[in-house]
Amino acid sequence: MSEILVVENITKIFASAKRSLTVLNDISFSITEGSSISIVGPSGSGKTTLLGLCAGLDVATHGTISLNGIKLNVLDEDDRAYTRNQYIGFIFQNFQLLPTLTAIENVTVPLELRGEKNYLNKGKDLLSRVGLGDRISHYPSQLSGGEQQRVAIARAFITDPKILFADEPTGNLDEETASYVEDLIFDLNKQQGTTLVMVTHNLELASKTDRILKIKGGKLVEDQIVTPV
Amino acid sequence: MEYKIKVVRNRFNLLTDSWVWKMAFRDARTNPGRLFLFVSSIIIGIAALVAINSFNINLQRSIDDQAKDLLGADFVLRGNKAFEPEILTTIDSIDAVKAREADMASMVMFMTSTPGARLVRVIAIDGDFPFYGELETLPDNASELMQTQPFAMMDKNLMGQYDVSGDDSIKVGNMTFKVAGEVSKIPGGGGIQSTFTPSVYIDMKYLDSTGLVQYGSRVDYKYYFKTRGDLETNEFIDRLKPIAKKYGHWMETVEGRKENLGEGFQNLYKFFNLLAFIALILGCIGVASSVHIYVKEKRDSVAILRCIGSSGWQAFNIYFIQAVFVGFIGSIIGVLLGLAIQYVLPALMQEFIPLELDLKIAWSAVLEGLFLGLVIAILFSIMPLLAVRFIPPLAVLRSGFEPIRNFSKSRILIIGLIVAFPLLFATYQSDSFTIGLSFFTGIVLAFLALSGLGSGLVWAVRKYFPSKLGFIWRQSLANLFRPNNQTLVLVVVIGLGAFLIATLNIVQSSLLNQVEFIGNGNQSNTILFDIQPPQREGVIKLTNDNDLEVNQLVPIITCRISEINGKNIGQIQRDTTDAIPNWAITREYRVTYRDSLHSAETLDSGKIQHISNDSIYVTISKGMHENLELEIGDTITFDVQGIPITTYLGGIRDVEWPKDPPNFIFVFPNGVLEQAPQIYVMTTRIDAQSVASNYQRELVALFSNVSLIDLSLVLSTINEFFDKVSFVIRFMALFSLLTGLVVLAGAVINSKFLRLKENVLLRTIGASGKQIVGMTILEYIYLGLFAGITGISLSLISGWMLAKYLFEVVFLPDYLGLIYILIALIALTTFVGWFNTRGIIKKSPLEVLRNET
Repeated sequence: MSEILVVENITKIFASAKRSLTVLNDISFSITEGSSISIVGPSGSGKTTLLGLCAGLDVATHGTISLNGIKLNVLDEDDRAYTRNQYIGFIFQNFQLLPTLTAIENVTVPLELRGEKNYLNKGKDLLSRVGLGDRISHYPSQLSGGEQQRVAIARAFITDPKILFADEPTGNLDEETASYVEDLIFDLNKQQGTTLVMVTHNLELASKTDRILKIKGGKLVEDQIVTPV
Repeated sequence: MEYKIKVVRNRFNLLTDSWVWKMAFRDARTNPGRLFLFVSSIIIGIAALVAINSFNINLQRSIDDQAKDLLGADFVLRGNKAFEPEILTTIDSIDAVKAREADMASMVMFMTSTPGARLVRVIAIDGDFPFYGELETLPDNASELMQTQPFAMMDKNLMGQYDVSGDDSIKVGNMTFKVAGEVSKIPGGGGIQSTFTPSVYIDMKYLDSTGLVQYGSRVDYKYYFKTRGDLETNEFIDRLKPIAKKYGHWMETVEGRKENLGEGFQNLYKFFNLLAFIALILGCIGVASSVHIYVKEKRDSVAILRCIGSSGWQAFNIYFIQAVFVGFIGSIIGVLLGLAIQYVLPALMQEFIPLELDLKIAWSAVLEGLFLGLVIAILFSIMPLLAVRFIPPLAVLRSGFEPIRNFSKSRILIIGLIVAFPLLFATYQSDSFTIGLSFFTGIVLAFLALSGLGSGLVWAVRKYFPSKLGFIWRQSLANLFRPNNQTLVLVVVIGLGAFLIATLNIVQSSLLNQVEFIGNGNQSNTILFDIQPPQREGVIKLTNDNDLEVNQLVPIITCRISEINGKNIGQIQRDTTDAIPNWAITREYRVTYRDSLHSAETLDSGKIQHISNDSIYVTISKGMHENLELEIGDTITFDVQGIPITTYLGGIRDVEWPKDPPNFIFVFPNGVLEQAPQIYVMTTRIDAQSVASNYQRELVALFSNVSLIDLSLVLSTINEFFDKVSFVIRFMALFSLLTGLVVLAGAVINSKFLRLKENVLLRTIGASGKQIVGMTILEYIYLGLFAGITGISLSLISGWMLAKYLFEVVFLPDYLGLIYILIALIALTTFVGWFNTRGIIKKSPLEVLRNET
C-alpha cells in the first residue's frame, strides 16, 4: 500500500518578539493509505499543532510534509485550501459548523466549493446514514451537541476524502453519544477506505486505531502498532 | 518518492463563482437586522446628501427662473443721495418705462386701539413698480388706493404686530395716512427682510409733506427701468454707468441680481455642503465601524470555510457581495428619504428665501446619491473586509491564532482611496479644490481634535482610575477600555454632533447676550437720531420730563472724502495700482468731533484726534484704514457740505461697534466742525416698557422726523431670527448626531453577544439583575459624558474663535444651555445603549448556557 502522508523532520517554532518556543522538534513518520492512527500525549505536548501541520492548516518551520504526493510546505494558503477540499476531511472537538447554514447546507458546502452540481442527494444520504435524515433543514443552534457532531461527520465524509483528521472528536460529548459517534467514524472510515488521523486523550478510543503515536514535549516518543484484541 | 509541487485548481472570479453568491445569501438570511444596521449609516449619509443637493439644485433653478421677478425691473439705478442734475438729464433721455423709489428709516406712529410707535423703513414709490414679479396685497386694490389717495400699505407682519386693521391710520412724519392694506409679497422685500426692517409704503407725491427728508437724513434712491429687450437694456446701462460711477451711484441688473442672490446663497450652500460632507463622512465611519465588528464575528465561520477549502478571496467575496448589495439597498432608501426631506426643507427655509421654490426631483442628485452610496459601501467596507482574506484556517483549532500576514498591496491601495475620497468628494461637492481642501483639512482637524481630546480623556480616566469606587461604578467604567471597545469611535462621532450643536448655541448666546450685555448697567438702550439743531433742547426736555437721563448727545456731520494724499476721487478711481473699493471713497461719512476716546474705543496706534500747529489730526476706526489704504500721517481732504477741510490721519482706534453706540469711522478734534451743519444723536436708558411706549409716542408726535432705536426691540428681532436659523441648523446637525447614535446602536448590537457571555458569567457568580442593569446604564452614561465633554470643550474653542474673529463680539456662552446639551446627550446615548441591550439583560443564565452548549 502507498503512503498517503509522509512527515519528514518537521519542527515548529512559534517566535514572538521576546522569545521563541519550539512546539514540535524533528518529528518524522509516515502513514499508509487506508490505515488509522491516533496521536496521543499530555496537554501542551504538540498533538494539535502536529495535526494542523499534517492537514495543511499551518506550515512547519523546518521539514517537509507531503500529502497524497503533494508537498504542503511549498504551496500558498489558497493552494493548500484547494488540497484540503480535494483530499481531506475534518472533525473537530467543538464541531465547527457554520451557524448560518442548515444541516444539509453544512454537509454539502465542500462539494459546492468544488463546483459540483448534484450534491443534494449525496448530502441527504449521508445525513440519513448518521441518523439525521429528518433534521436536514435545522440550523446548528437547533441541534444537540451529538447531532451537531454527526452533521460534522457527514460533512467530513461527503467529499470521499483520502484522509480524515479528527481532533478530539468525542471530547465534548457524553459517554453514550461519544460511543455512537466513535462507531460512526470507524464504520464510515472502513466503508470508504479513508485514512484516519485522530488526536485524542482517550486511550480507549486510541486503541481502536491501527497505530498510536505518542508525543511528549514536542517529540515523538513512541510509535506503537496496536494489536487487535 | 515523487512529489507534486504545484496544484492545478479552478480559479473563479466574483461574477463566475456562483458558490460565493449562494453563501452570501445564506449567511445574510439568518440575521438581516445586523446588516440593516450597518446600512443605516449609508441611509442617513445619503439622505442628507440627496436632500441638500436636490434642494440646492431646485434653489439655483428657481433663482435662474425668477431673477427678473425679484428685481422687479430690467435694471435699477441706485444711490444713497439724491441724483445729480447730470444723471437726471440722462435718465430723462432714456426711452423706457420708469418708476422711482426713495426709502429711509423713520418712526411711524400706529393710531390703533393700542397706539404704538416703531422704527420702520418708509418706502415712497412713484410709478407702476414692480414691472415684473408680483405685488401681493390684501385687499387687491391696496396699491391703487395708495397711488391715488393718502393711503399707506405696510408689511404683513407689521400689521399683525400692532394689530392694524383697514380702518386705522398711521402717522408718518408730519402726515397721517389711512391704511390701504397689507403687502405680503413685493420684489426686493418681504421674507426675512421684513423681520429686520418692516416696511411702510406711501406714494412719492406725499414724501415732501411728511418732512422726513431733511438735512442729514439717510435716504436710498432708486430708479427702475423697463426696456423693450436686452439690447436696449445694455445700451441704457452703457449710457448711465459712467455717470453713475462718477457720482458714487451704482447699477443693478437681472444678471447682477442673479449673481448677488447666488453669492448670497453661497454661504448657505457652503454650510449645507459642509453638513452633507460631515453626514457622509460619519456615514463612512459608521460603515467601516460596523463592518469591522461584523467581520470579527464572522471570524470562526471564515476559519471553517478556509479549513474545508475556500480560498481567501472566496471568503472575502461572500461578505463583499453582502456589503455591496446592502449598500445599494441603503442608497435607494437614503435617496427616497432624502427626497422626502427635500420637501420639508423649503418649509423651514421659506422665511429666508425670497423666491417661490418650485420643487422637482433632481435626478442628478438621485443618481449621485445612488453612486456615492455604493462607493461608500464598497470603499469603507473593503478595508475591514480585507481582513477576512487573512483569517487563518488554524483558527478552527486555536481560536486566538492570529495571522502572520495581514497586509497586502490591495490594502495599501484601499487606504489611499479612503484618504482621497473625502478630498475628492468635498472638491466635487463644492466645485472648487480650494474649498474642498479646506473642508477636508477642517474635518481632519476636527476629527484629530476630537479623537485627541477623546483619547486624552480616556487615558486620564485610566491613569487616575477611581479604584475606591463601588464595583458597579468601576466595572462599568472599565468596560470602556476593554479589548474591542468602540469608545473612541463613539466619542468622536457623537462628540462631533455635540460639537456642532454646542458651537451654534455658543454663537447664538454670544450674540444675544451682547445686546443684553450692552443693555445692562448704566449703558444706553435707546438711541434717538436725526435730531435737528432747533429740536435739540426740545428733545432733551422731553427726555427729562419722562424722568430719563440723557447719557450722550453726539453731534453728527455728514461729509464725503474728496482727496487722499493729494489724489482726487476720479484719479483714485482710475488708478489701477491701488485696491481702494469705490464704495469707500464715494460713500457719505457721518463723523463727530470730540477730544477724548469713547468708552467703546481704545487707541490702536498713533495719537487721538487733536489740532497741532493749525493742522487737523483725525482718527479712523481699525479696519477701515486698510480699506482706504491709509497710514498715520496721510492726508485726507473732506468735503463738508461744499467746504474742503484737509486733515491728517493722527491715529487708529479699535472700536467695539456694538458697545454703547453710536460709534464712528472718522472722529475730528474739537474746534473744527462746530459751525458745520449738523444733527444730533442722543442716547438714554429706559427700563420700563410703559415709559418707553409713552416716550416713543410723545417723541413721534412732537418731533416726527426724529427716529428711535429700541435695543430691546433689536434683541427680540435677533432672537426671532436666531430661532428660525438655529432650527434649520439644528435640524441639519441632527443628521450627524443621528449617525453617531446609529454607530452607537451598531456597536452595542454587534457586541451584544460578547456582553451576553460576560453578563451570564457575572450573574452565575452572583451578580444581581439590578447590578447588571446598573453597570450597563452607567457604561452608556460614561460614554455620553465623555462624548459630550469632548464635543462641548471643542465647541467652546470654536465658539470663542467665531465670536472673536467672525462676529467680533464678546465671548458670552450660555453655560446652563451647554449643561442642558450635555444632559440631553447623555440621556440619548444611555437610552440607545439600554434599548439595544435590554434583551440580553433580561435573559436567564441557564438559557444562555444551553445555547452556548
